[in-house]
Amino acid sequence: MIKKKFIIIISICLVHFFLNNVQAVEPDEILKNQKQELRARDISKNIRCMVCQNQSIDESNAPLAKDLRILIREKIKEGKNNDEIYEFLTDRYGDFILLNPPFKLNTLVLWFFPFIFFGIGIFIIFFHNKKSKQN
Amino acid sequence: MKKQLLIIPFIIFLFILLTFFYLLAIERNPSELPSNLLDKKIPKFETESLLKNERFISAKEFGKEKILVNFFATWCQPCRTEHTYIKRFSKEKGIRIIGINYKDNPKKAVEWLRKLGNPYSDVPVDKNGRIAIDWGVYGIPETFVINSNGIIKYRHIGPVTKKIYKKINLLISDIE
Repeated sequence: MIKKKFIIIISICLVHFFLNNVQAVEPDEILKNQKQELRARDISKNIRCMVCQNQSIDESNAPLAKDLRILIREKIKEGKNNDEIYEFLTDRYGDFILLNPPFKLNTLVLWFFPFIFFGIGIFIIFFHNKKSKQN
Repeated sequence: MKKQLLIIPFIIFLFILLTFFYLLAIERNPSELPSNLLDKKIPKFETESLLKNERFISAKEFGKEKILVNFFATWCQPCRTEHTYIKRFSKEKGIRIIGINYKDNPKKAVEWLRKLGNPYSDVPVDKNGRIAIDWGVYGIPETFVINSNGIIKYRHIGPVTKKIYKKINLLISDIE
Protein backbone atom coordinates (compact mmCIF):
# COMPACT_ATOMS: atom_id res chain seq x y z
CA MET A 1 0.00 0.00 0.00
CA ILE A 2 2.73 2.41 0.97
CA LYS A 3 4.69 1.36 -2.08
CA LYS A 4 1.72 2.15 -4.32
CA LYS A 5 1.34 5.60 -2.84
CA PHE A 6 5.02 6.19 -3.25
CA ILE A 7 4.90 5.29 -6.94
CA ILE A 8 1.92 7.62 -7.49
CA ILE A 9 3.71 10.50 -5.82
CA ILE A 10 6.89 9.88 -7.80
CA SER A 11 4.99 9.77 -11.09
CA ILE A 12 3.16 13.02 -10.28
CA CYS A 13 6.50 14.64 -9.56
CA LEU A 14 7.94 13.35 -12.83
CA VAL A 15 5.00 14.63 -14.84
CA HIS A 16 5.44 18.05 -13.27
CA PHE A 17 9.12 17.97 -14.00
CA PHE A 18 8.46 17.41 -17.68
CA LEU A 19 5.59 19.89 -17.78
CA ASN A 20 8.00 22.58 -16.68
CA ASN A 21 10.07 21.87 -19.74
CA VAL A 22 7.16 22.28 -22.10
CA GLN A 23 7.74 25.06 -24.60
CA ALA A 24 5.36 27.00 -26.77
CA VAL A 25 7.35 26.72 -30.00
CA GLU A 26 5.06 25.38 -32.70
CA PRO A 27 6.24 22.91 -35.36
CA ASP A 28 5.86 25.39 -38.24
CA GLU A 29 8.22 27.82 -36.54
CA ILE A 30 11.14 25.43 -36.15
CA LEU A 31 14.12 26.07 -38.42
CA LYS A 32 15.50 23.22 -40.51
CA ASN A 33 19.07 24.07 -39.58
CA GLN A 34 19.44 22.57 -36.12
CA LYS A 35 22.29 24.82 -35.07
CA GLN A 36 20.27 27.92 -35.96
CA GLU A 37 17.20 26.52 -34.21
CA LEU A 38 19.21 25.98 -31.02
CA ARG A 39 20.45 29.56 -31.20
CA ALA A 40 16.88 30.80 -31.64
CA ARG A 41 15.75 28.77 -28.61
CA ASP A 42 18.61 30.14 -26.59
CA ILE A 43 17.73 33.75 -27.42
CA SER A 44 14.00 33.16 -26.90
CA LYS A 45 14.64 31.89 -23.37
CA ASN A 46 16.20 35.26 -22.50
CA ILE A 47 13.42 37.37 -23.98
CA ARG A 48 10.48 38.38 -21.82
CA CYS A 49 6.99 38.00 -23.17
CA MET A 50 5.71 41.57 -22.81
CA VAL A 51 2.13 40.34 -22.54
CA CYS A 52 2.60 37.82 -19.72
CA GLN A 53 5.70 39.50 -18.28
CA ASN A 54 6.96 36.63 -16.15
CA GLN A 55 7.30 34.14 -18.96
CA SER A 56 9.90 34.00 -21.67
CA ILE A 57 8.68 34.07 -25.26
CA ASP A 58 9.94 30.49 -25.47
CA GLU A 59 7.24 29.40 -23.01
CA SER A 60 4.45 31.81 -23.83
CA ASN A 61 1.49 31.13 -26.08
CA ALA A 62 0.70 34.82 -26.55
CA PRO A 63 0.43 35.88 -30.21
CA LEU A 64 3.10 38.55 -29.73
CA ALA A 65 5.49 35.93 -28.32
CA LYS A 66 4.95 33.82 -31.43
CA ASP A 67 5.59 36.84 -33.67
CA LEU A 68 8.81 37.59 -31.83
CA ARG A 69 9.96 33.96 -32.04
CA ILE A 70 9.43 34.03 -35.80
CA LEU A 71 11.17 37.41 -36.05
CA ILE A 72 14.21 36.10 -34.16
CA ARG A 73 14.42 33.09 -36.49
CA GLU A 74 14.20 35.37 -39.53
CA LYS A 75 17.03 37.52 -38.17
CA ILE A 76 19.15 34.42 -37.60
CA LYS A 77 18.53 33.28 -41.17
CA GLU A 78 19.56 36.75 -42.36
CA GLY A 79 22.89 36.11 -40.66
CA LYS A 80 22.49 38.53 -37.73
CA ASN A 81 24.49 37.68 -34.60
CA ASN A 82 22.98 37.36 -31.12
CA ASP A 83 24.02 40.83 -29.98
CA GLU A 84 22.41 42.42 -33.02
CA ILE A 85 19.17 40.59 -32.31
CA TYR A 86 19.14 41.62 -28.63
CA GLU A 87 19.86 45.19 -29.69
CA PHE A 88 17.01 45.12 -32.19
CA LEU A 89 14.60 44.07 -29.44
CA THR A 90 15.83 46.42 -26.70
CA ASP A 91 15.73 49.36 -29.14
CA ARG A 92 12.00 48.78 -29.41
CA TYR A 93 10.94 47.39 -26.06
CA GLY A 94 13.66 48.63 -23.71
CA ASP A 95 15.84 46.60 -21.32
CA PHE A 96 12.68 45.23 -19.71
CA ILE A 97 12.40 42.70 -22.53
CA LEU A 98 15.58 41.00 -21.31
CA LEU A 99 14.90 38.51 -18.53
CA ASN A 100 18.45 39.07 -17.30
CA PRO A 101 18.92 42.72 -16.37
CA PRO A 102 22.01 44.13 -18.10
CA PHE A 103 24.96 45.40 -16.09
CA LYS A 104 24.49 49.17 -16.30
CA LEU A 105 24.90 52.23 -14.11
CA ASN A 106 21.24 52.25 -13.11
CA THR A 107 21.25 48.52 -12.27
CA LEU A 108 24.41 48.64 -10.14
CA VAL A 109 22.35 48.61 -6.93
CA LEU A 110 20.48 45.55 -8.14
CA TRP A 111 23.70 43.67 -8.84
CA PHE A 112 25.68 44.73 -5.79
CA PHE A 113 23.06 44.80 -3.03
CA PRO A 114 23.13 41.04 -2.41
CA PHE A 115 26.90 41.16 -1.93
CA ILE A 116 26.69 44.18 0.34
CA PHE A 117 24.02 42.50 2.46
CA PHE A 118 26.07 39.31 2.53
CA GLY A 119 29.03 41.33 3.75
CA ILE A 120 26.96 42.99 6.46
CA GLY A 121 25.65 39.58 7.53
CA ILE A 122 29.15 38.11 7.79
CA PHE A 123 30.28 41.16 9.74
CA ILE A 124 27.39 40.87 12.22
CA ILE A 125 28.00 37.14 12.77
CA PHE A 126 31.72 37.70 13.22
CA PHE A 127 31.17 40.62 15.57
CA HIS A 128 28.58 38.69 17.55
CA ASN A 129 30.85 35.65 17.98
CA LYS A 130 33.78 37.74 19.09
CA LYS A 131 31.65 39.51 21.68
CA SER A 132 30.16 36.32 23.10
CA LYS A 133 33.59 34.70 23.31
CA GLN A 134 34.85 37.65 25.30
CA ASN A 135 31.94 37.29 27.65
CA MET B 1 26.77 48.52 22.29
CA LYS B 2 25.64 45.05 21.32
CA LYS B 3 22.03 45.75 22.11
CA GLN B 4 22.13 48.93 20.09
CA LEU B 5 23.40 47.02 17.07
CA LEU B 6 20.56 44.53 17.30
CA ILE B 7 18.07 47.24 16.48
CA ILE B 8 19.60 47.81 13.01
CA PRO B 9 17.99 44.78 11.27
CA PHE B 10 14.67 45.80 12.72
CA ILE B 11 15.00 49.30 11.29
CA ILE B 12 15.99 47.93 7.89
CA PHE B 13 13.02 45.57 7.96
CA LEU B 14 10.68 48.41 8.83
CA PHE B 15 12.12 50.51 6.02
CA ILE B 16 11.62 47.73 3.47
CA LEU B 17 8.08 47.16 4.74
CA LEU B 18 7.26 50.84 4.37
CA THR B 19 8.68 50.92 0.84
CA PHE B 20 6.57 47.95 -0.22
CA PHE B 21 3.50 49.43 1.41
CA TYR B 22 4.09 52.71 -0.38
CA LEU B 23 4.40 50.94 -3.75
CA LEU B 24 1.15 49.10 -3.05
CA ALA B 25 -0.72 52.17 -1.92
CA ILE B 26 0.12 54.57 -4.76
CA GLU B 27 -1.96 54.37 -7.90
CA ARG B 28 0.19 52.45 -10.29
CA ASN B 29 -0.37 49.98 -13.07
CA PRO B 30 2.49 47.47 -13.07
CA SER B 31 1.73 46.32 -16.61
CA GLU B 32 2.35 49.81 -17.92
CA LEU B 33 5.94 50.10 -19.01
CA PRO B 34 7.90 53.15 -20.07
CA SER B 35 8.35 53.40 -23.78
CA ASN B 36 11.83 53.14 -25.16
CA LEU B 37 10.75 55.30 -28.08
CA LEU B 38 9.81 58.41 -26.07
CA ASP B 39 11.49 61.54 -27.44
CA LYS B 40 12.73 59.59 -30.43
CA LYS B 41 11.79 59.83 -34.08
CA ILE B 42 8.94 57.61 -35.23
CA PRO B 43 9.93 54.30 -36.80
CA LYS B 44 9.65 54.54 -40.58
CA PHE B 45 7.25 52.21 -42.33
CA GLU B 46 5.56 51.70 -45.64
CA THR B 47 2.44 49.63 -46.18
CA GLU B 48 -0.90 49.48 -47.93
CA SER B 49 -3.73 51.74 -46.92
CA LEU B 50 -7.05 50.23 -45.94
CA LEU B 51 -9.24 52.93 -47.44
CA LYS B 52 -7.10 54.57 -50.12
CA ASN B 53 -5.69 53.14 -53.30
CA GLU B 54 -2.19 54.47 -52.69
CA ARG B 55 0.51 53.12 -50.40
CA PHE B 56 1.00 54.64 -46.96
CA ILE B 57 4.53 56.05 -46.61
CA SER B 58 5.31 57.32 -43.11
CA ALA B 59 8.05 59.72 -44.29
CA LYS B 60 5.44 61.60 -46.30
CA GLU B 61 2.90 61.86 -43.47
CA PHE B 62 4.86 62.73 -40.35
CA GLY B 63 6.95 65.78 -39.51
CA LYS B 64 4.58 68.50 -40.66
CA GLU B 65 1.99 68.67 -37.91
CA LYS B 66 0.99 67.07 -34.62
CA ILE B 67 -0.44 63.63 -35.20
CA LEU B 68 -2.06 60.95 -33.07
CA VAL B 69 -1.25 57.35 -33.90
CA ASN B 70 -3.74 54.77 -32.71
CA PHE B 71 -3.25 51.00 -33.03
CA PHE B 72 -6.61 49.25 -33.31
CA ALA B 73 -8.35 46.10 -34.50
CA THR B 74 -11.94 45.01 -34.86
CA TRP B 75 -11.34 41.92 -32.71
CA CYS B 76 -10.23 44.09 -29.81
CA GLN B 77 -13.11 45.02 -27.52
CA PRO B 78 -11.34 47.89 -25.67
CA CYS B 79 -10.71 49.47 -29.09
CA ARG B 80 -14.46 49.73 -29.57
CA THR B 81 -14.81 51.27 -26.11
CA GLU B 82 -12.20 53.95 -26.69
CA HIS B 83 -13.49 54.74 -30.19
CA THR B 84 -15.80 57.52 -28.95
CA TYR B 85 -12.79 59.34 -27.48
CA ILE B 86 -10.71 58.83 -30.63
CA LYS B 87 -13.59 60.42 -32.58
CA ARG B 88 -13.69 63.30 -30.11
CA PHE B 89 -9.99 63.98 -30.71
CA SER B 90 -10.65 64.43 -34.40
CA LYS B 91 -13.89 66.39 -33.95
CA GLU B 92 -13.05 68.68 -31.04
CA LYS B 93 -9.31 69.05 -31.46
CA GLY B 94 -9.17 68.76 -35.23
CA ILE B 95 -5.98 66.75 -34.88
CA ARG B 96 -4.95 64.33 -37.60
CA ILE B 97 -5.21 60.73 -36.44
CA ILE B 98 -3.57 57.79 -38.15
CA GLY B 99 -5.15 54.48 -37.21
CA ILE B 100 -2.92 51.50 -37.72
CA ASN B 101 -5.07 48.44 -38.30
CA TYR B 102 -3.32 45.64 -36.39
CA LYS B 103 -3.56 42.02 -37.61
CA ASP B 104 -7.10 42.35 -38.81
CA ASN B 105 -9.47 41.23 -41.51
CA PRO B 106 -9.60 44.21 -43.97
CA LYS B 107 -13.25 43.64 -44.85
CA LYS B 108 -14.30 43.62 -41.20
CA ALA B 109 -12.18 46.71 -40.54
CA VAL B 110 -13.86 48.69 -43.34
CA GLU B 111 -17.28 47.62 -42.05
CA TRP B 112 -16.31 48.47 -38.44
CA LEU B 113 -15.27 52.00 -39.44
CA ARG B 114 -18.41 52.48 -41.53
CA LYS B 115 -20.58 51.49 -38.58
CA LEU B 116 -18.79 53.28 -35.75
CA GLY B 117 -17.54 56.29 -37.72
CA ASN B 118 -14.06 56.93 -39.06
CA PRO B 119 -11.94 59.48 -37.20
CA TYR B 120 -8.77 58.45 -39.03
CA SER B 121 -7.24 60.46 -41.85
CA ASP B 122 -5.57 57.31 -43.07
CA VAL B 123 -5.55 53.66 -42.05
CA PRO B 124 -2.27 51.87 -42.81
CA VAL B 125 -2.56 48.09 -42.57
CA ASP B 126 -0.25 46.12 -40.28
CA LYS B 127 -1.03 42.65 -41.58
CA ASN B 128 1.53 40.58 -39.67
CA GLY B 129 2.17 42.87 -36.71
CA ARG B 130 5.65 43.91 -37.78
CA ILE B 131 4.92 47.65 -37.72
CA ALA B 132 3.62 47.28 -34.16
CA ILE B 133 6.85 45.54 -33.12
CA ASP B 134 8.84 48.46 -34.55
CA TRP B 135 6.76 50.78 -32.37
CA GLY B 136 7.32 48.60 -29.30
CA VAL B 137 3.61 47.84 -29.09
CA TYR B 138 2.63 44.85 -26.96
CA GLY B 139 -1.04 45.26 -26.20
CA ILE B 140 -3.51 47.10 -28.36
CA PRO B 141 -5.15 49.59 -28.18
CA GLU B 142 -2.14 51.88 -27.90
CA THR B 143 -2.06 55.59 -28.65
CA PHE B 144 0.97 57.75 -29.44
CA VAL B 145 1.24 61.53 -29.58
CA ILE B 146 3.68 62.72 -32.25
CA ASN B 147 4.85 66.34 -32.47
CA SER B 148 5.32 68.34 -35.65
CA ASN B 149 8.94 67.20 -35.92
CA GLY B 150 7.90 63.57 -36.07
CA ILE B 151 9.04 62.84 -32.52
CA ILE B 152 7.07 60.62 -30.13
CA LYS B 153 6.05 62.67 -27.09
CA TYR B 154 3.63 60.38 -25.30
CA ARG B 155 2.45 56.82 -25.33
CA HIS B 156 -0.64 55.37 -23.76
CA ILE B 157 -1.15 51.62 -23.45
CA GLY B 158 -4.74 50.42 -23.19
CA PRO B 159 -8.01 52.13 -24.02
CA VAL B 160 -8.33 55.92 -23.83
CA THR B 161 -10.60 56.71 -20.89
CA LYS B 162 -12.09 60.05 -19.86
CA LYS B 163 -9.06 60.76 -17.67
CA ILE B 164 -6.58 59.86 -20.39
CA TYR B 165 -8.60 61.84 -22.92
CA LYS B 166 -8.17 64.98 -20.81
CA LYS B 167 -4.48 64.26 -20.30
CA ILE B 168 -3.78 63.80 -24.01
CA ASN B 169 -5.90 66.86 -24.81
CA LEU B 170 -3.72 69.03 -22.58
CA LEU B 171 -0.60 67.49 -24.05
CA ILE B 172 -1.70 68.22 -27.61
CA SER B 173 -2.09 71.89 -26.71
CA ASP B 174 1.29 71.95 -24.97
CA ILE B 175 3.57 70.37 -27.54
CA GLU B 176 4.77 72.12 -30.66
